[in-house]
Order: sequence, then structure tokens, then C-alpha cells
Amino acid sequence: MGAEESGEAPEPGALDTRRLRTLQNVGMLCGLTAGAWLGAAEAPTKLVTLGLSPVVISLSMVIGVFLARWTLPALIQGTSYIAADLRQAPHLIVWAVLAGCLWAVANTLTIFAVRDVGLSIAFPLWNSNSLLGIFWGILFFQELRGADWGRWLGVLGGAVLMFAGATALAIASAAQVPPRDAARGVAAALSAGVLWGTMYIPYRKAYLTGMSPLSFITFFTVGELGMMTTLALTYSGGAAPLWAQLSGARHVLFWLLAGGFVWVVGDLFQQYAVKYAGITRGIPLSNTNQLWGLLWGILVFGELRGASHSVLAHVIGGSVVMAVGAGIIALSSVSRSEHLRWQKAAASEGARYGVDPEYTRSRIAGEGTSSIVRRRTWIDWLVVSVATATIVGFALVARAPQIALQSQWAAVLIVATLGMLVGVGVALWRTTRFN
Amino acid sequence: MGDDRREKHSGSWLGLVLRDVQFWVPVAVLAGGLLVLRWIS
Repeated sequence: MGAEESGEAPEPGALDTRRLRTLQNVGMLCGLTAGAWLGAAEAPTKLVTLGLSPVVISLSMVIGVFLARWTLPALIQGTSYIAADLRQAPHLIVWAVLAGCLWAVANTLTIFAVRDVGLSIAFPLWNSNSLLGIFWGILFFQELRGADWGRWLGVLGGAVLMFAGATALAIASAAQVPPRDAARGVAAALSAGVLWGTMYIPYRKAYLTGMSPLSFITFFTVGELGMMTTLALTYSGGAAPLWAQLSGARHVLFWLLAGGFVWVVGDLFQQYAVKYAGITRGIPLSNTNQLWGLLWGILVFGELRGASHSVLAHVIGGSVVMAVGAGIIALSSVSRSEHLRWQKAAASEGARYGVDPEYTRSRIAGEGTSSIVRRRTWIDWLVVSVATATIVGFALVARAPQIALQSQWAAVLIVATLGMLVGVGVALWRTTRFN
Repeated sequence: MGDDRREKHSGSWLGLVLRDVQFWVPVAVLAGGLLVLRWIS
């Protein structure tokens, strides 16, 4: 039982119950919004059916991701704020680059998975990353420590439901594609899940220390682009063949860049969810992207058209079970006693790396620090201008992809996704000023 | 105290990262992911 339930006096340094609840609610909303945007971002991977190499698709997405990961922080906080943040905890640069490398390999694996077993089936399989994320959260970061049995049951029961749903979808995959492709696609999707699940270790490290997600992602993306460029050069047979493939695909590169850009918005909300709701709650909520992926796949791209009732039952039933599991986990909110364990883990992390305790304390509470001020310089406007010009340049040579889609349903999903961005973005700003 | 700590650790944060057991977990997973990618591609 937490202190707030038992009526005990709060420990010194602990957040008051109201502030703790507000931060958690914002964290949960960020998780749900992340789900919508991450789900929308996977839609461009459908272009793989046009015959582009998965590695070229992933590299193109990562270029879009790179542009977005520098543009959004420069616009929202300014690069001087980011530099000051990194001076507080320079060791996190290494963790950010490592996380970016994990992301790049995982993203490439997901494109192979989509090619081999389809978006609707691959999606929930790689979303098993939340199970691993929960494991790392408990093992390394004191999550669920000090929680009552109901919260343990909620998180672990939800995790079991999510695993059951993923299994149902894996069974459905065997009926849709040749056995060899199915095995390869399932292996790719599950491996991506392991990579992404482990990526939450660097995330949590950064946010327990107090770093702003906007600062973390600027170096995260250096790892992403570096690893993805290496993979693309290796698997394409060198720079000249890679350039030839990129040139040949220039008419669709814009859509992939846009997919990467959309993904960053989702990932940013996911990072705030991890910061304020923890891995054990934030990640399952952001994994509602599975439902958004299902909606995009079925409503917009006409996936599963002509599939048997049995396959449809497996896919829909498995997805619903996974979503219920995520919902149960989300309802297992963090008690004050558990949050105190988080703070102890944060203090331990700060002591290990020599981070100012006041910086860590204030950032966990979603507050700014007096030593860091926001101001924009010409560098910020240069970053934004170069990124915008690059995207506009690709847009000018873009052609609509030759793939059948239902534009009315696409419009409905886009409006819903934008609505969540605005609503939750305002709530996040009011509560934390994007700290 | 915080400034003292930062000064003490300023030249050695990379060493601290490399001695952190948690660092090697993602490194091992990354290596495994690259092997799977090599197998399926």
C-alpha cells in the first residue's frame, strides 16, 4: 500500500500527491498520443511493396528522423538549452548514441517483417518490446518496487495478455504467407521487439537523471543515422550502388522522410511517457500503436481483404487482447511509495555519474532549473531552415505512390492524430514546459 | 556538493559508462540484432 493510501506523512523531497498524479496523467496521455503517431508513421513502409530495398527504405526514414530530431528541439527549446542540458550529464551522450544504434537496427528489421508477414501481423509482434521493457524497468530502475500486489498483478497480468495476443497474431501469419517467409518475418519482428525493449534502458537512464527528452534525442539521432548509413552501405554493396538506389527511388523518398518525421513526433511523446509514467506504464500505452497500425492497414491499405474468417478472428482477437492488456497496465498507476523508489534510483544514478542532485530532483518533478534558460540563436533558425528546405526539395520531386488506398479513411485517421497532438501537447506544456 | 562531484567525474565519465554493467546489456542486444539482420537479409 502506498503512503497516500495509508495516510502516512510524505517523506522529505517527495512530490505532493496532486503533482504526482498530474505528472502521471500527462505521462499516460503522452503514451496514448505516441501510439497514434507511431502507428501512422509505419504506413509509409507499405511502399516496400513497390520493390524498394528494405535498407533503402529504412535509411530514407532515418534521414527524415534526423531532420525532425534536430528541428523540433531547436524550435521548442533552442540548441543553447540542449547544450546546457548535456553539460549537466555528458555521459548520456554515449547512452543516447547507443540507443540510436538500437533503433536503427530495429527499424530495419521491422521493414523486413512488414515485407514478409504484413503490417497488421508484424506490428503486434514487435510490440512485445513492452514485455522486455517492463522486465528491465523492474530489474534496473526500481519500477514496481514498493507497489502493492494489485499493481504487480495489473502490470504482469496485462503483460501476459499482450503476449497471448501476440501469439494469436503469429499463428495467423502462418496462414497468410509461405512458411519460410513467415518464419523469417516473425523472427525479424520479434528481434525488433527485443532491440526496442532494450532501448528503454538508455531512455530510463536519461530521464531518471533528469535530462529533457528534447535534449536526449539530438544525440540519439546521431547514433541512428550513423548506424543506418553503415548498414545501408554494407547491404547495398557500397556507396555507388546505394546512391543509384536512392536516385532511382527519389520520387518516393519524400513519403519515407515524412514517415520518419511523423515517427519522431510519436517517439517524442513516448519519451515523455517513459519519463513521467515509467517504462512499465508508458511503453504499453504507446504500444496502442498496434491498434492504429491495424486501422491504417485494414481501412486505408485494404490489408486482409479476402482473408478467411479464421485469420480475421485471430488478427482482430489478438489485437483486442493485446490492447486490453495494455489498458490494464495503464490502470496500475504509480503509488507514492513506488515513486520514492524511483527517486532513490535516480539519486543512485546521479551519484554514480556525479550529476547535480538539485538538477535531478527538479527535472523528475517536471520543473526547470534556474541555471538553464531558453533562448533561440541564429543556429536554431539555420537548423530549421536547412531541414525545411531539404524536405521541400524532396516534396517537389515526389510523386504519389502507386498504391491503392482509401483516402477518406486516411483523412479521418489524420484528423484524429492531429487532434491528439494539439490537445496533449498543450497539456504537456502547461504541466512541464516540455522539461 | 554537486559541483565537486562534476569536477571529480568530469574527465572520467566515459570510463564510468564502460564500467556500468547496464551499459553492456544494450551492447550485447545490438550485436544480436545485427546477427539476425545478417541472417534474414
